[in-house]
Amino acid sequence: MSEQTQNCLMDCDMEEMSADNVKTSPADHLQQWSQWQLLDSILPTGGFAHSSGLEAAVQARFVVGPEDLKFYIIQVLENTGSLLLPYVYCASKFPDVESWFKLDRLLEATLTNEVSRKASASQGSALLRVAASIYVEIPSLKQMRDTYLGSGAASFHHAPIFGLICGLLGFDSSTSQRAYMFITMRDVVSAATRLNLIGPLGASVLQHQIAHVAEQMTKKWMDRPVEEASQTSPLVDIVQGCHGYLFSRLFCS
Amino acid sequence: MSGKGGERGERKMETGIAAVEKVGGRSTVTRCFSKYPLKLIVPNKVGSSKTDAVWIYTLSYGGGIVSGDRISLSIGVGDGCTAAVTTQASTKVYKSVDSKCSEQVLEARIGRNALLAVIPDPVTCFSTARYSQKQVFRVFSDSNLVIVDWITSGRHESGEKWEFELYRSTNQIFLEEDQPLFLDSVLLEQASTCSIAERMQEYHVIAMVIILGPMLKHVQNQVQDEVKKMMSRHFRVPTPTAGHYMRSESQSGPTRPALVASCSAFGPQAIGVVVRIAAVTTESVYMFLRHHLATLEPFLGVIPYG
Repeated sequence: MSEQTQNCLMDCDMEEMSADNVKTSPADHLQQWSQWQLLDSILPTGGFAHSSGLEAAVQARFVVGPEDLKFYIIQVLENTGSLLLPYVYCASKFPDVESWFKLDRLLEATLTNEVSRKASASQGSALLRVAASIYVEIPSLKQMRDTYLGSGAASFHHAPIFGLICGLLGFDSSTSQRAYMFITMRDVVSAATRLNLIGPLGASVLQHQIAHVAEQMTKKWMDRPVEEASQTSPLVDIVQGCHGYLFSRLFCS
Repeated sequence: MSGKGGERGERKMETGIAAVEKVGGRSTVTRCFSKYPLKLIVPNKVGSSKTDAVWIYTLSYGGGIVSGDRISLSIGVGDGCTAAVTTQASTKVYKSVDSKCSEQVLEARIGRNALLAVIPDPVTCFSTARYSQKQVFRVFSDSNLVIVDWITSGRHESGEKWEFELYRSTNQIFLEEDQPLFLDSVLLEQASTCSIAERMQEYHVIAMVIILGPMLKHVQNQVQDEVKKMMSRHFRVPTPTAGHYMRSESQSGPTRPALVASCSAFGPQAIGVVVRIAAVTTESVYMFLRHHLATLEPFLGVIPYG
């Protein structure tokens, strides 16, 4: 090999190395551990107690077969995208306590369905408690919790809390929104297995099947201001609101 | 009052303005203005003369909303007054031309111890129509409000079922000027993933009823109890065991309710209640409204939707 070629090859190697360094730094690698932990269903946030109205949908015979189940989950994802993604977006873009509080108040007025409003507050509170304990490198989480917990002025709704934590952990808003859609899908699918609608393997197959639809929804509804938040699946909302009328129930919502 | 620059400017913006105030101790329409495409009609007497209430009818020229129409209505209900705003027939929204969207905006201010009932017939959007509606209500903690907001699937006799392109309805209630109390927006748009008809399944009507305020507490309680009783009947059947979910077509079993509703309280001290309904027939919703709003008769002079 000529000296020129050798030098050229060495240059290429150097470029590749620095490109690699720019793409994934040690900080990014560490962030992945935090990210995966936040999205892991083992995180004790009580998500398993909520079925996104699936239990009511089954009892009211809106979901009687596997096609119904798939359709229902897609509707839930669409409603999550149109109604809640703007809150995740804004909270992750402006992860400060003042902005979060405004979003929390707005969402309190927007979640007019009592069942989903309570579920949102319950999950958000649990998530904040867990995050404040885990991410000690972000003292503002504990401070915010201590400030607002006693006063009763905040409801700690799930979507803004999730967005805030993502933002404070350094995730970009696109990832944060995609992650929110992911955990929503994760929890409904999990509820489906516990309602005996589908087995664990079938659930995993279904989850992967719907992933491209969930991505479509994410792309469609992401990066919007909260003024545009709206619900797109009225039937899902009505059925969800019926959870309190169930004769026997496994889930809180 | 007329002819001044500011007034003229305001009139250019609004297609309709109505003000209700106490005159001689009785609720009276002290101001009523409307221009094309909106017409406001205030009949001399609706219902019992003992009742202190005014009724305002909104009409559109040509019997419907044409593509590109913009209608804005501003209503003020003074302290202690009672007013009802309604329609003569369902609001038809005609097909969109050049993808234009039609729009209706209502802004209402309700005074202390006052009552406003917005109780129209449903909106019916024709095939390809694009329609947006926004209603903003500003209330005090002792104001009272009844809002019925509903839509049918279209001209279902002609086979039109949820064939419009876009429907958006926004209802917002603010307490003491700027505290958000109720912010709701429903968006129905034809989408590639799922058409509106697929989303609505066999239901042809969706409706929302808001009942707010201390004067209407008994109405709220009654609605909550009755919706719960009505819906609980459909959930009495205990859930089947594993594997029996996937029923075949031939198996008979209970079907979905023809009218499904859920009721939620909202606001500080549960100051309001919202009922959301989906139904197969328009008539069943008229019956529901007649039944649950009957207790408004002493306030309004007649039973709404009677």
